[in-house]
Amino acid sequence: MSDDSGWLNSYINSLPERGWFQFLSKYVVVPFWVWREGRPKLPGGPRPSPQPSDNTQRMMNLLMPLKDTSPIGRAKAVMALAQNVDEIFAGLDNVGTVHSARFLLVEDYICMISVYDGDFSNYIRDFISTIGSVFDALMHEVEGGDKLYPSEENVEAFIDWVREHDLFQAPDYPFDLFGLQDEQAGRKPNDPPHDLQTLPRSLILQLHANRNISLGGGYRGYPGYSAAQIRRNLGVGW
Amino acid sequence: MAVFDAEKVQGNILRGYPLDRVRHMILEVSDRRRAREFLAAAADGRGEDVPRITRSANWSERPEVCFNIGITFEGLRTLGLPSDELKTFPTEYTEGMTRRALKLGDFGESAPEHWPAPFDRPDRIHIVASAYANANHHLDDIEKKVAKVFTVLGTRDGRNLPDGKVFFGYRDGISQPRLRHVFDPEHAGDHQIKDPLGTVLLGYQTQLEGIKFTIPTPEDVFRDSAFNAFRVLQQDTGAFETYLTDAAHFLESHRDVARLLPEGAEQNIGGGMSRHDALREVVAAQMCGRWRNGTPYEASPNSDVQDGISLTNYDYSLSSRCPAGSHMRRANPRGGPIVQRVANYTRRMVRRGMSYGPDPETGEHGLLGNFIGANYGAQFEAVMCDWINFGLQDPGITGTNDPLLGANVPETSRFDLTLKGGGHIRLSGFPRFVKTRGGAYTLLPSLPAIRYLSQLTA
Repeated sequence: MSDDSGWLNSYINSLPERGWFQFLSKYVVVPFWVWREGRPKLPGGPRPSPQPSDNTQRMMNLLMPLKDTSPIGRAKAVMALAQNVDEIFAGLDNVGTVHSARFLLVEDYICMISVYDGDFSNYIRDFISTIGSVFDALMHEVEGGDKLYPSEENVEAFIDWVREHDLFQAPDYPFDLFGLQDEQAGRKPNDPPHDLQTLPRSLILQLHANRNISLGGGYRGYPGYSAAQIRRNLGVGW
Repeated sequence: MAVFDAEKVQGNILRGYPLDRVRHMILEVSDRRRAREFLAAAADGRGEDVPRITRSANWSERPEVCFNIGITFEGLRTLGLPSDELKTFPTEYTEGMTRRALKLGDFGESAPEHWPAPFDRPDRIHIVASAYANANHHLDDIEKKVAKVFTVLGTRDGRNLPDGKVFFGYRDGISQPRLRHVFDPEHAGDHQIKDPLGTVLLGYQTQLEGIKFTIPTPEDVFRDSAFNAFRVLQQDTGAFETYLTDAAHFLESHRDVARLLPEGAEQNIGGGMSRHDALREVVAAQMCGRWRNGTPYEASPNSDVQDGISLTNYDYSLSSRCPAGSHMRRANPRGGPIVQRVANYTRRMVRRGMSYGPDPETGEHGLLGNFIGANYGAQFEAVMCDWINFGLQDPGITGTNDPLLGANVPETSRFDLTLKGGGHIRLSGFPRFVKTRGGAYTLLPSLPAIRYLSQLTA
């Protein structure tokens, strides 16, 4: 968009606010873009990093779609968790690398929001080996959960499923999105470099593939410390 | 549970061979029909021109030559495994070693972009075939047979160094998982808990409570297979010995050095040596977890004399003298305290390695390692990304890497030497001593799987 104050530029700058243009964008332009140059879905969870500080307090935003979204189905999912909450918390405690975890029922999803250290697949695998049978009860209420049953004999598929349903974490610096999209499409990142003006379009296309995302990695009040380090320094035993 | 039949398992998985040389041949399948014929003949020892695959079954007489194969995901695809079956293989294997680089610590100079041929073209690597023998002419003979069918992209020769040592000077290969149902007199005196077959083979109960890893489809075919991380690991012994000397100079004038090594104890190290040389050995021993002759540091912190000390039977505790950051404790924390309370003994794998080099031109030398297990994510990768590097298992070492194997840079590297009575002396400024120079994730297919692949028609 131009800074020039001519009438044509003013009009073009005002397009995103105009109803007819919004209609056209929603039903014609974006679907056309998606057809022409859609972006592949980006994987969930934090990205691997060689930096130790990036490997503590990693965020999981797991959205598990409910099979039955009626009040009855929602209640079943809530009950599956409520009946086993002690086992689940004991299981998380035994994994040893979890700072916090909580379950939410939001719209049509059961969400597991947690903060953990290290590699997520080790966290999930140890969790399943501790309380897999308890978690199975919840998975029966979740879309696609049946084929992961029993989770103890489908660990690989379960871990892939979690990664698939963990929210993509948008990069903390917006233009880093280009590189991630390139890599996902099997291209060398930022080669050739992208025009910054195309960032909104890339974001729109990405939000078509990843409908829900995490905005950045999240805030940490005491970056770089593992759960065990905090416990040790508080003298509560790790 | 399926009945275990060692005739179905490739021989390099459950036991090491009593042979001192290896040639790993990195192969591309250029003619899939002939490749399948080769596999069929190799599985059943038909034909003069094809080496027979060595099995795990007990041998009536010592073989002169052993031969085994590992197949990459690209290899399975090229041999014609249908896509609905390819989809049932685990993600780590499907992606291949180069795409797992960050998790494995393969960045900087160790990044796959810097790997020499043939590892610079992972898409062309279909099979890693390994021949074992005592004499080179046996290896040449096998390579000739293999080269008639496959394109040999490259070879890597390894050999056992004297006294079971590696180039860093340590005795290696002392501790291995001992598997239930497997006759293994070599490790009979090891009192660590035995591993179920599912630690290395697909289709059996694992050490993780209740967990069985998924067998790819068709299950009856791929049962008894294993996954292998083949690694070419360059060892910078020059930098290591230089660092030991620097560290010994620093320690000699340290006020706490008597708690690191009592005065006079140097008489009991390496048969008696100077204070300076003994301090070098103490640093080497704490970094590894064993003295270079194999004596466990935990059992003997002031002497490497082996009299009456078991090489395998000891455990770690909160007051261990063996540092939590040492290589051995990171790779196998035994029953010692770790953050991941349910993970003790669950990430073990079979390690088989021989040394390579030095290259006559570059002097490059190191280890050709096979790290074998039933699941990359639960074993090899889990150990590499959370324990060897990063040190998540103990809050005292979190944020540091393995001093020997880790992805260290001098600016941030640190290692805490333990002292008698508690406390530590911190070492820092050491570089990365082991660089990755190649590798591949390969399936070590069961004999039924090799036959199945040989009969594909696509």
